[in-house]
Amino acid sequence: MPSLPELQAAFARAVIERDEGPLLVDWIVSGRGLDAQARLGVYRNNVLSNYRKAMRAAYPVVFALVGEAFFNHACDTYASRYPSRSGDLNDFGGEFGYFLAGWPPAAQLAYLSDVARLEWAVERVFHAVDAAALDLHALALVPQEELPNLRFELHPASRIVCSPYPILRIWQVNQPGFAGSQAMELHAGGDTLLVIRRGATVELERLSAGELSLLQALATDCPLARAHAQALEAEPGVDLTALLQHHVLSGTLVAFRNGRQ
Amino acid sequence: MREAEHAGRNPGAIPIRTGIGLRTPHCREIVESRPDIGWVEVHSENYFCEGGQPHRFLELVRADCPLSLHGVGLGPGSAEPLDLDHLRKLGRLIDRYQPGLVSEHLCWSAAGGRHLNDLLPLPYTEEALAHVCDRIEETQRFLGRQILIENVSSYLQFRHSTIPEWEFLAEVSHRSACALLLDVNNIYVNSVNHGFDPRAYLASVPAAAVQEIHLAGFDATGACIIDTHGTRVADEVWALYREAIARLGPRPTLIEWDTDIPALEVLLAEASKAAQVLEEAHAVAA
Repeated sequence: MPSLPELQAAFARAVIERDEGPLLVDWIVSGRGLDAQARLGVYRNNVLSNYRKAMRAAYPVVFALVGEAFFNHACDTYASRYPSRSGDLNDFGGEFGYFLAGWPPAAQLAYLSDVARLEWAVERVFHAVDAAALDLHALALVPQEELPNLRFELHPASRIVCSPYPILRIWQVNQPGFAGSQAMELHAGGDTLLVIRRGATVELERLSAGELSLLQALATDCPLARAHAQALEAEPGVDLTALLQHHVLSGTLVAFRNGRQ
Repeated sequence: MREAEHAGRNPGAIPIRTGIGLRTPHCREIVESRPDIGWVEVHSENYFCEGGQPHRFLELVRADCPLSLHGVGLGPGSAEPLDLDHLRKLGRLIDRYQPGLVSEHLCWSAAGGRHLNDLLPLPYTEEALAHVCDRIEETQRFLGRQILIENVSSYLQFRHSTIPEWEFLAEVSHRSACALLLDVNNIYVNSVNHGFDPRAYLASVPAAAVQEIHLAGFDATGACIIDTHGTRVADEVWALYREAIARLGPRPTLIEWDTDIPALEVLLAEASKAAQVLEEAHAVAA
């Protein structure tokens, strides 16, 4: 007779790794039309289909790109290599992009892992914490000479995703109801995207090289002067005033403080 | 502070009426049309995230309607330490929404840090009973409130079980001082899958402990009945529900529908069938 930990460990192995071991089936009652293996099989199906459902909800574009059979095969393999670590199924699937990048059956679809990383960013941004808008009045009151010292905070529901492939276009043509041309030039150049929730909606916005440097510097708590210098290095002649205005007014930046304080 | 924050909000107690599981496809319609629902229940984990649209809708619904939080991920029967991070998230959710009821399942779900994210069956042994009661008590202490524990559907039984499921359930409630969420559909499903008399099960349920009832539809197309929550409540389950209400007295009753989610009006029609049973029972009591 197994102890509770022994029983549960064997059960988990049987379901996740299809390794029923010598004992588990002997611990299960057969009969009423189903033997022990078939009964375990019901649980294996339930568990895998829960994982698949969760992944399908988080990765609709990957699903659309590869179809159900390939997607399910990828999910099942993923689940065995990156087991769920949370009782909240919404946490499951975060490494799917990294998994796809190294999974031989997906090797022909080099953009797939970046699309998956984009979808996970969209998923997380959709559910991330809300933030109040930046206090424009207080910002207007900051004396001109103090501006270089300001440090800004990015919206907690925002992420940056970069790819050498046109993942924005791939994402857009695979949205439900998309009616335009499906034509795609995969080597037309990559995308650097800001994924951000504005109101209830997740938006994707292309960033220029200077804009990316500016936001990355601000996200790591650099004062505005240093962030500006990094942006100029990435993109000579970048218009700081225009960028700052855009990201303040569109809610990318949600708070600021004077860095000398 | 907490009371001040929630002043003016609909009181939290779950009325002895029927409620529905609040699911994403119905949120907007419920907020806009405000159907006459006694209360709603959500899966706790779906609100562990901190912001965005799901919380906006839930805030709006909660302003008008008592709420029950139903956990699917704690798995108090797992033979490993309780996930305190999970409990902290649940605690935050309770603080935010002031639910009338908080429930979990009589099951396990993780081994060796791997989560199977399913409601897995326990062996009904003294060892499992002592373990799950400890975990339920720990959960109640952590949350500072009584929780409800729900009987689950199962597709297998372990040979070394020594206690009938119904006695195990009653003993869990007695030892850990938790309340019960009686899923009448799950009793029926298990009675068919394992071959016992569902009426004998009902007869041993400690009536005073039952604070909520669940009803749902199952799939009987395979060799055993699968609890899919994907269709209307079966006639046999309605019959068993009437018997449960006759024995226990009227109890808040929830219609769960989680897969192949139908139009809201279909779900509300199921809820009003249950409401009729409750009204008849109220009439008898009066």
